[in-house]
Amino acid sequence: MSTLLDVRNVSKRFTTGGMMNRRSVQAVEKAGFAMSAEMPEIFTIIGESGSGKTTLARMILGLEEPSEGEILVQEKRVDGRAGRASRLDFMANVQPVFQNPFEAFNPLKRIDRYLESTARRFLPDPDRATIEAAMDAALQKVGLSLAEVGGRFPHEMSGGQLQRAAIARALIPNPRLLIADEPVPMVDASLRMSIVNLLRSLRDDYGVSVIYITHDLATAYYISDRLMIMQRGRIVEIGPGHAVLDTPEHPYSRLLKAGVLSTADAGAGRLSIDPDIIAAAETLSRRPGRLEDRDDGRRVMVHGSAPNAAG
Amino acid sequence: MTDYIWFLAKRAALLVAVIFFGVSAAFFITHLSPIDPVETALGRISSQASFSPQAIAEMRQTLTELYGTDAPVLSQYGNFWRRLLVGDLGPSLIAFPTPAMTLVMQAMPWTVALLVISTLITFVLGNLLGGLAGYNQNNALFKSLGMLAISLQPIPYYVVAFILLILFGFVWPVLPISGGYAMTVTPGLNLPFVLSVLNHAILPALSLVLVGFGSWFLGMRALVSNIVTEDYVTYAELAGVRKSTIVGSYVMRNALIPQITGLAMTLGTVFSGTVITEEVFNYPGLGSLLIDAVFEGDYALVLAVSSISVVAVAGAIFVVDLLYPLLDPRIRSE
Repeated sequence: MSTLLDVRNVSKRFTTGGMMNRRSVQAVEKAGFAMSAEMPEIFTIIGESGSGKTTLARMILGLEEPSEGEILVQEKRVDGRAGRASRLDFMANVQPVFQNPFEAFNPLKRIDRYLESTARRFLPDPDRATIEAAMDAALQKVGLSLAEVGGRFPHEMSGGQLQRAAIARALIPNPRLLIADEPVPMVDASLRMSIVNLLRSLRDDYGVSVIYITHDLATAYYISDRLMIMQRGRIVEIGPGHAVLDTPEHPYSRLLKAGVLSTADAGAGRLSIDPDIIAAAETLSRRPGRLEDRDDGRRVMVHGSAPNAAG
Repeated sequence: MTDYIWFLAKRAALLVAVIFFGVSAAFFITHLSPIDPVETALGRISSQASFSPQAIAEMRQTLTELYGTDAPVLSQYGNFWRRLLVGDLGPSLIAFPTPAMTLVMQAMPWTVALLVISTLITFVLGNLLGGLAGYNQNNALFKSLGMLAISLQPIPYYVVAFILLILFGFVWPVLPISGGYAMTVTPGLNLPFVLSVLNHAILPALSLVLVGFGSWFLGMRALVSNIVTEDYVTYAELAGVRKSTIVGSYVMRNALIPQITGLAMTLGTVFSGTVITEEVFNYPGLGSLLIDAVFEGDYALVLAVSSISVVAVAGAIFVVDLLYPLLDPRIRSE
């Protein structure tokens, strides 16, 4: 079995401040997981803001250098400082989709010109007809068409349409892996599901693997094959999506699940979370731990011999 | 296209309104001034020789009739607009009977050239370096340029002008510090004259450039450092787009749009800066002319200079406005 993506024991430490007040932040600590090249899947990374999920995505894209460990895409090491040719080679396989669709395109450039230059750059034989065909095909996959998008500037489209166009741009090179960093929070609730469904159809119909980064448990539960929960840069639980979210084991995972708003609870005026879980998740985040295998295929972080406060 | 014509018509109407109110304000301010041009002229004449009180009274009456200062302000205002529409701003009172317009037209090329050249240099230099500084935030050279810009930017025009005057006129006297050209050359299209003009323009232009540079530099640096964090720039970097293309067509072009607005808005300020700078360097432009006219109570000339400046600045802003939709597609759909 060959791997599409192999993240090996990756850590990232950021140092901020000048000489006097140097501080370092451990953004990602010894993260490791792999995705198979044969079986396309949706791999979800869940965590609160600052949990290191975006830093991990940026390292996979080569925008940040890992402080320790290495990341392999199709058995080749990701190198942010690589030359233009190997960058293009990498981008043909891995494409990003960003959080804010309004920032994903240069406001002064027409969207079809974007798609066109992407097509020209990545297609092996770029003549007029194949470029247009590739643009239209990519737009069809996301439920748009060249006739709809042609000649329009980003401000002339809605957030949902723009996010679809951003995904279409990412699909033009026929990538094996799509890295979607919180692709839905900025679009309307009604469009959220259509984007999530789009990711699912990319996996099922076009064989694209997706790393879906989010803090929204509902959509994660809906589309994930596997998921990984991160807290303060550490993986605390990783495994099959439904298994992990049905019965979360690590206190932080349980805290996340308890934090999901339900209309029933809100209606009953019950929106507080059991303070014991919050305290347990907080204490454990500072204690060393290691990942242990469980029978259902998940791995959970266990924290030394200290008594587990929340059982 | 019809959108653009509609946009043009709206801006043109605005231009007319701005000119009307600006010129009217100039008219009323000069006519409410406590300096009476008749008395100033009498003072000037009687300082040359002594006249009998009777002669002075007669002169006062003649001058008052000539200048038309005894008519009510509102009827003077009406006459003023009637004459202005045919391009006549009346005779100058100090250089009577030379038309004020002639004096303005003599001084105008000096100011326009100084203003246009120094504004262009400042705008291009400030934005280019500021943009590069925003993109290469950790570069030591650009960091020190930023320090320089921060320290220069708050200094007023006249202080910079005097410092340059002292530095290059007395400490290291290499540049002419007064006038528009040397006495020894004959005005006209000949090489010595052109060189002399350029040589004399260095210090006034430099003082305008030094002061203007800082705000363009700092503004552009801030704009660019915001834009480089946007996702489309990250995407372009990921996709291996050439660095020069990213800086030029993704970052700088987008950051320039608010700067163009800034250009339109600073034109007026730069003009008033030129007035002071010209006075310091005794440059034969509109600024020096205006200050002389104010002190002599020559309100025909003051009005002429201010009306022309209102028209020129408003016109320049109008042109910048017209460029706007060509640069930013988001304006067109408005």
